[in-house]
Amino acid sequence: MTILKPLLGWEGFLLAVLIAIIAANAALSPQFLTLSNQINLFQLSIEKIIVALVMTFVIINAEIDLSVASMMGLSACAFGWFFQQGVDPVAAIGLCLLIGVAGGAFNGWFIARVGLPSLVVTLATLIGFRGLARVLVEDRGVSGFPQWFGDLGQKGLIGPVPFALIAFAVLFVALFVLLQRTGFGRKTYVIGTNRDVADYAGIDTGRHKMIIFMMSGLVSAFAGLLFAARVGAVRGDVAQGFELDVITMVLLGGVSIFGGAGSLMGTLLAILIVLNLRNGMALVNITGHIQTGVVGLLLIGSVLVPRINLSALRRRPQKEAT
Amino acid sequence: MTLPLLALRDISKSFGMTQALSDMSLDLFAGEVHAIVGENGAGKSTMIKIMTGVHRPTSGRMELDGAALGLSGTQDARLAGIAAIYQEPMVFPDLDVAENIFIASTTLGLVQNRGALRARAQALIDRIGMTLDVDRIAAGLTLAEQQAVEIARALSQDVRVLIMDEPTASLSAHEAAQLRGVARTLAGQGVAVVYISHRLEEIFEIADRVTVIRDGQHISTRLVGEVTPDSLIADMVGRAVGNYFTKAPSQTRPEVLLSVEDLGCEDIFSGVTFDLHRGEVLCMAGLIGARRTDVALTLFGIRPATAGRLRYKGAPVRFTRPRDAIAAGIAYVSEDRRKLGLAMPMPIAANVTLATLAGILSPAGLLRRRQEAGIAEAYRKRLNIRTPSVAIAVGMLSGGNQQKVMLAKWLALAPDLLIFDEPTRGIDVGAKAEVHDLIRAFVAEGGAALVISSDLPEVLAMGDRILVMREGRQMGILPHEGATQESVMRLATGATTLAGAA
Amino acid sequence: MLDRLSPQNLRILALFVVLGLVLAFFATQVDNYFNARLFNRISASVAIMALIATAQTLVILTRNIDLSIGSVVGFTAFATGAMVAANPGISPLLLVAYAMAVGAGFGVVNGLLVAYARVPAIIVTLATMAIFRSLLVEFADGKSITSQKLPAWLTDYPNTVLFSLAGVEFRAAFMTSVVVVALVHLALTRLRPARKLYAVGSNPEAAEMAGINQRAVVFTAFVLAGALAGLGGFMFLARFGNITVVAGLGFELKSVAAAVVGGVNIFGGSGTVAGALIGAILVDLIDTSLVRWPLVSEFWREAVLGALILTAVAVDAILMRRLIAWRLRREKARNAARAAAEAQA
Repeated sequence: MTILKPLLGWEGFLLAVLIAIIAANAALSPQFLTLSNQINLFQLSIEKIIVALVMTFVIINAEIDLSVASMMGLSACAFGWFFQQGVDPVAAIGLCLLIGVAGGAFNGWFIARVGLPSLVVTLATLIGFRGLARVLVEDRGVSGFPQWFGDLGQKGLIGPVPFALIAFAVLFVALFVLLQRTGFGRKTYVIGTNRDVADYAGIDTGRHKMIIFMMSGLVSAFAGLLFAARVGAVRGDVAQGFELDVITMVLLGGVSIFGGAGSLMGTLLAILIVLNLRNGMALVNITGHIQTGVVGLLLIGSVLVPRINLSALRRRPQKEAT
Repeated sequence: MTLPLLALRDISKSFGMTQALSDMSLDLFAGEVHAIVGENGAGKSTMIKIMTGVHRPTSGRMELDGAALGLSGTQDARLAGIAAIYQEPMVFPDLDVAENIFIASTTLGLVQNRGALRARAQALIDRIGMTLDVDRIAAGLTLAEQQAVEIARALSQDVRVLIMDEPTASLSAHEAAQLRGVARTLAGQGVAVVYISHRLEEIFEIADRVTVIRDGQHISTRLVGEVTPDSLIADMVGRAVGNYFTKAPSQTRPEVLLSVEDLGCEDIFSGVTFDLHRGEVLCMAGLIGARRTDVALTLFGIRPATAGRLRYKGAPVRFTRPRDAIAAGIAYVSEDRRKLGLAMPMPIAANVTLATLAGILSPAGLLRRRQEAGIAEAYRKRLNIRTPSVAIAVGMLSGGNQQKVMLAKWLALAPDLLIFDEPTRGIDVGAKAEVHDLIRAFVAEGGAALVISSDLPEVLAMGDRILVMREGRQMGILPHEGATQESVMRLATGATTLAGAA
Repeated sequence: MLDRLSPQNLRILALFVVLGLVLAFFATQVDNYFNARLFNRISASVAIMALIATAQTLVILTRNIDLSIGSVVGFTAFATGAMVAANPGISPLLLVAYAMAVGAGFGVVNGLLVAYARVPAIIVTLATMAIFRSLLVEFADGKSITSQKLPAWLTDYPNTVLFSLAGVEFRAAFMTSVVVVALVHLALTRLRPARKLYAVGSNPEAAEMAGINQRAVVFTAFVLAGALAGLGGFMFLARFGNITVVAGLGFELKSVAAAVVGGVNIFGGSGTVAGALIGAILVDLIDTSLVRWPLVSEFWREAVLGALILTAVAVDAILMRRLIAWRLRREKARNAARAAAEAQA
């Protein structure tokens, strides 16, 4: 058994599931395989799947970031607020991205420097960032953004393919290279596997975690802006509750909640599975909450299924690392 | 003679190809303190694990009060009244002392009667002769107090055989004396106490009988009055040295690489002073609790020094993080491969390049994976790492090969000073010799090696000089010429001191 | 005092101090701050949150987490409402038992998966949060519970004034909740089997060595948490009357927040439900008070709450480290003195 084989195995399994779902969907509806349905399928969840890419880094690093959806909300609301104050929209976009980096640095500081558990810190900022979003827009909605901003979210940029989907593709390639092909990615795995080993090898693990949380903040803020562009209006509850969907996708992709294992390819396959599954269920009129429930079943299954084979081989189940 | 309380009869235990215990027999009587001594790796811990039901013997049997005793798990041992306490006590940091003692007790009923619980806990603490507030939570307790809690827990379950495994190794002198008092008190109350210790003076203080084991075999059991420190040491180290390794000629060069003067860290160790030359192998000998690893961690910047001076390559230095030490060309090969040394689920190649990642990055910052594989492949050949491929997880390798991967990681850094912590513990003889050759090759090229080892033949064969530590103090430095297992052991056990030796 | 008091009691003491400071602060800021309305508003929402925070605490104590708790509250609220709507004559006690049994059933699912199938709690309950919610949608089948369908005793119950002191009304729901929390608190501090929750969370390895059945303990914690969440669902139904499929949404994180502010260690082993109760009160008090603070927009509520959680945890972690280090140092000094005295003698 090597590090690669079980991952390939898992990714192969995900791929098979994905093909089955696509085949079933295509059989169910002739519309399914049309380009517009395929684009639409991505568009509806584009913010979540973009954040799932960076969440993959966070969880492989053996941390968690519950604050991503609130950061999306904060960034969207900040954009609305800047817009209302008459700030140039381009400058406002830059400021919102800065807010994302700052929020991530805030999380990272408490986690990497003070040494608090990321579960608690990002739970607090989940509430806190959302709170700041509400401070900015209170109970109003902000809309009436410039035409070009809305077009970015709604219209096709290259043919029918919208900006957000291109951004997702570019980000996926960039982050894939970063995680799988660079020293930074290598360190992400090592620290997630065993932080002490990384420390003893001279890696600045605190700084690394800091950077990862800043990335998480930046990408979340970007996703929040995409949301604002796509919907054309912002409110205090933008993206509320998205964090759990995002984490589900990453875990389903085979990323270990204990860190150190998983890949962006797995996350991508899980994203495609979730999107196609939801789309297929929508085709047969299954509602949103039930769809989420099915995804939940899939998540538990994804942990249990590979274990069934193993437990037949191992007499006593080994304790999970904590 | 009365019937032994617990008897081991021809117990053997093997793990795969390794024979950990062979035909071990031992009688334990109620009311005695029975010391067991032996070098690290002599088979003591395997024996404890068999007595406490963690391992099942490959052959042989145990008897309790003359009746056959089969243990199929730790619960069985507990019910039979056999308990063990270790160097690292197992307490619940969030519970208070009284609850720590009685948490799993089945005799106290459903409702916790605080008064009765306190009284019973206090009685047990009194019985072992300690002063300890039973209302305090365990998080603030000293190691000795935590051990007292564990002993009291064992007593609450009517322990008849209490195994104490190096209980005083991490304790201060005062605490150790306290704990020895506890052992004596319990024996006086009819408990059979098995006392495993490296500190010979302790054994002469409290033991009734002493058993020496070596290489998994029973060597001798004598009344403590019949032995001397020298006879014990002779029994412990008495293996035929002939089939072992011999010392290669020294390659020491005049240039001092590292100069350590009166180094100390908090109250962990103090007064460590030595010069380390290029081309030299300095071995650090000592028993468990001698604080040798702590010295290494301080040199490596994990736990910065609080006293003394360090000069490296002629200039004063102070390392506060491993990064500082690594940048200066110092590497530390940890004794704990699993926790501190290797990322076990990751490929061999990734582990080999872990400390030198920057060296395999392209100008654009990408990993040059072919170069990485090349480096790993080169070390596989050079260190003779037995693996089908450098792409497989390092955790899949045998201990000896894992050790070589860890060495490769640090050799790739091309360090000037390599600190080895128990470099050959738990690896087979062939791999051991290979590791020794590596260390020699490293110093032959002008590096310097500091080798911490508990394996005396290894210390004698590798060390150009031997620094002996005991309980956080430097006891002396022996030149290779004239150093014997006995002379090292005498210093390490405190049987003699070597004042002012250099 | 500092070396005698357990961290648990220190935390509760500190929470009371903070509670007092918050009250004192707002009393200077808000005219006519202390009135019956303040107490009633807080007590009405704490009645529900205290139960759920207590349930969450049971699970966190064992080094686990229950993110499905909001869905359990929602499902039991709806199912209990449907039950009483279909059987208006049902005895109140039976109805409560029904709610708790439904909740416990969900707890069994979580407990089996976490304790026996060894799937990490965060994954299991993240999934069951969605699964239980979708079961509710399926169960509701597009309908919702309205207060008209409920018997009068049920909707009257939360507002029944049991007694009043100086104009402050102690209502039935709040008092029920306080009594339940007090009972759980007593059980956790006085019942020996319950202490095993702390042992397992404090040091799982030591628990195994001491012969504690870890799996059974973790399983039980999830089942009890489910039952308490079921009771919370009953209270939710009684208070709001109108139940839709989104009932209880967000309670999972709010309950974790209340527990953490109340001094429950997210890594298990320490904390009390009394602390969680005060945590829930504190969170609600600040929430309610900010609405009335003229200087600051009420929209600062959540931001302040986030800051409160972070501060509570950071201060707690730093102070506890200091406290333990201080105790160790003192102990060492005392031992050294004793050793010196013995050497002299």
